[in-house]
Amino acid sequence: MTKKVAIIGYAQSNHQAEVQKTREDLVFDVAREALKNAGILREDLGTVITSSTDFLDGRTISNVFLSMAVGAYLKDESKVEEDGTNALYYAMMKLMAGAYEIALVEAHTIGWTFNPHQVWLYTLDPLVDRQIGVLDDIAAAALQARAYMDKYGVSEKDLAQVAVKSLSDAAKNPCAHRKMPKVNVGQVLSSRKYYDPLTELMISPVSDGCAIVILASEEKAKQVCEQPVWIEGIGTCQDDYLRDRNLLSLNSLKKAAKAAYRMAKVKNPLKEINVAEVSARFAHEELMIYEALGLCRDGEGKDLLAKGVTKKSGKLPVNPSGGALAADPICATGLIRVIEAAKQIRGEANGYQVPKVKRALAHGQFGICAQKNTVIILGGGK
Amino acid sequence: MLRNTAIIGCGQTKHTSKRRDVSVAELVAEATYAALEDAGITMKDVGCVVSGNMQGFGGVAQPDLWIGDWMGCPGKPAIRIATGGTTGGSVAHGALYAVASGMFDLAIGVAWEKHSDSKEAGATTGLMHVGMANLFHALPYGLSLKNLIATTAVGAAAGVAVYQARFYMHRSGATIEHLDMVAAKDRRNAAKNIYAHLQWPNCQPEDIAKTEMIAYPFRYGHVCPASDGASCIVVASEKLAKKLCKQPAWLLGLASYSDEENQLQSENYGGVGVLDPCEQMGARISAKKAYSMAGITDPQKEIDLAEIYQPFPSQEMFFAERLGLFDDGTAWRYLEKGETDINGSLPTDLSGGVNATNAIGSSALQRVLECALQIQGKAGEHQASRKVRKAIAHGWGGVTNYITVTVLGDTPR
Repeated sequence: MTKKVAIIGYAQSNHQAEVQKTREDLVFDVAREALKNAGILREDLGTVITSSTDFLDGRTISNVFLSMAVGAYLKDESKVEEDGTNALYYAMMKLMAGAYEIALVEAHTIGWTFNPHQVWLYTLDPLVDRQIGVLDDIAAAALQARAYMDKYGVSEKDLAQVAVKSLSDAAKNPCAHRKMPKVNVGQVLSSRKYYDPLTELMISPVSDGCAIVILASEEKAKQVCEQPVWIEGIGTCQDDYLRDRNLLSLNSLKKAAKAAYRMAKVKNPLKEINVAEVSARFAHEELMIYEALGLCRDGEGKDLLAKGVTKKSGKLPVNPSGGALAADPICATGLIRVIEAAKQIRGEANGYQVPKVKRALAHGQFGICAQKNTVIILGGGK
Repeated sequence: MLRNTAIIGCGQTKHTSKRRDVSVAELVAEATYAALEDAGITMKDVGCVVSGNMQGFGGVAQPDLWIGDWMGCPGKPAIRIATGGTTGGSVAHGALYAVASGMFDLAIGVAWEKHSDSKEAGATTGLMHVGMANLFHALPYGLSLKNLIATTAVGAAAGVAVYQARFYMHRSGATIEHLDMVAAKDRRNAAKNIYAHLQWPNCQPEDIAKTEMIAYPFRYGHVCPASDGASCIVVASEKLAKKLCKQPAWLLGLASYSDEENQLQSENYGGVGVLDPCEQMGARISAKKAYSMAGITDPQKEIDLAEIYQPFPSQEMFFAERLGLFDDGTAWRYLEKGETDINGSLPTDLSGGVNATNAIGSSALQRVLECALQIQGKAGEHQASRKVRKAIAHGWGGVTNYITVTVLGDTPR
């Protein structure tokens, strides 16, 4: 890695259903807060990368109408049409190339613009899979969950445990959408069944939200920020299209994690990482993510959960913020994980702070059954 | 600043209105593998894939998830960039930054459009949803249907460009005959480019003048086509570029500054600041930034060739001015003298440009690709007469507000 890049500020919205704001207003408010958080002015920004999709935004070339709201007016800008963590990846490249000193990374989705599950249908091969008409993201995830459960002896209760952990932890997070402090396994299992084995509370809610992270080059970060959070490692990877993929493990996540660990010089993630924020859109995904991140062997995700390793007081807390099951404004979800991980390093996670966090992991995903994955390793100090 | 980075391979497909012989995935593969072959590498060598097409076109959301398998994405870092009309330029920037940042030594940038797919039933349904969602999005805020229709109508490129052309003609003194001259030049040039769509050998301004008037000042002969096509560039680090390529096209500067969107109405929630859509502050600032990266102080002397994104002929003239290649309001004088022809002092759009070939997502990438070909001396029949040392590629999109500028050269910085 030639040049270091740090996070110097961030902000997120209160994720919720049917936010009563225009997209532009939502983004503007968060952008202003993020600039304030970083202690810089709009004039200080070098480049701006946004991330959202036209289908989810419900308007053509949707980034056009965001330029002003996000502070990109007469600035270098671009748009990544996927998860916010990939926008961060691109912004980081621009800073590492030395073209700019400060970058603003924005991601948002207003879930109620129209049903996002239908948007996933339109990502399918239009010649075959879309025409068959039986698959959307939930149906595909349910097939994946069932295959995974059959292979490794995972039960519906295990999945419900994941949801209970996330939704009860979310109660302490003011930005989370689905907060259920007293939720129990029975309640999760008896919530409305979408596709067997997935019930409503095992599926991320449709949220409206925005997340913004401000990055800076090493020199600039040291100059303007008292407590920069360093990006020690980053990796991203795309998997095969749904039809040709082995759904039993998240292979692209394995590769992304490997690249990020190599860059951050992490050898044993379970020991060296203090907290992880992962984007699990469905309960079973969290178990698969444990495995792909190398926290345990394939099929042992449920044991890691059962032993309490990943609960808030465990050895490696995963999603103390509640994770994606508690709020999922699709494109912003990965960037929210980055913010939550950075907050843990800075000791700002009031009410759900994990003690002594030196190194944190954030994960973002995109595509049906997590086709694309990005892993970011954050570190404090120095 | 940036570490030295170069384009070492280019691939594109033949452009026509309907490529019925291939699916969009196969179309993309055709360009991708042509570029890899041109660079003399295989997909295994590629570190990162940056791709994009116009959002929602073809009726597929995030088509990289499906088409990724046809352009080598599986198992690799892959980023989808989509910024409307500038998509191709933004994709080129993504691939260039991937290497310039030191993260990768070899990256490819792939962009495409298959307009003919949008007539498929499924695809239209996909687009319908985008249109319907516009409505659902606007209604809760009390936006009237009248305003909404106005916004949508202005969104069409020709609708905006007509106003833009009138502003430019008024300000510069250019006439409709100059538009005929640009269009005729571009169609003539396209006839020498085997990949171009609208080819018209020896086309003269009088031929264009005979075509039907569509919306003043645009005649049918002024307007770009809708094409099926894809293009791909291979980007390499300095070490690999010198090893793999006799004459790489080196990256000298790049920028993508946006202006406020131009909505041409004040009642809307959107832009009210930009009243003159040919002012193009974004283009001026982008060019300034790219030139300063490239160490170019006098673009009028130092730039040998321009590939300007000109779906409409007026744009070839005023964008050349905004990019600093001519003084404001003077481009048509140089056009009259033939300076923008193949043997002129500033050959412009020798490929025929967007005016002759417009596969939207790919159009701005093609400008970069054509500059690279000219610097490499590989343009074939439409190679400029003069030696091309520094060339500028331009992209335009959004609601007249997005710009990409890429400056390439025959020697590294």
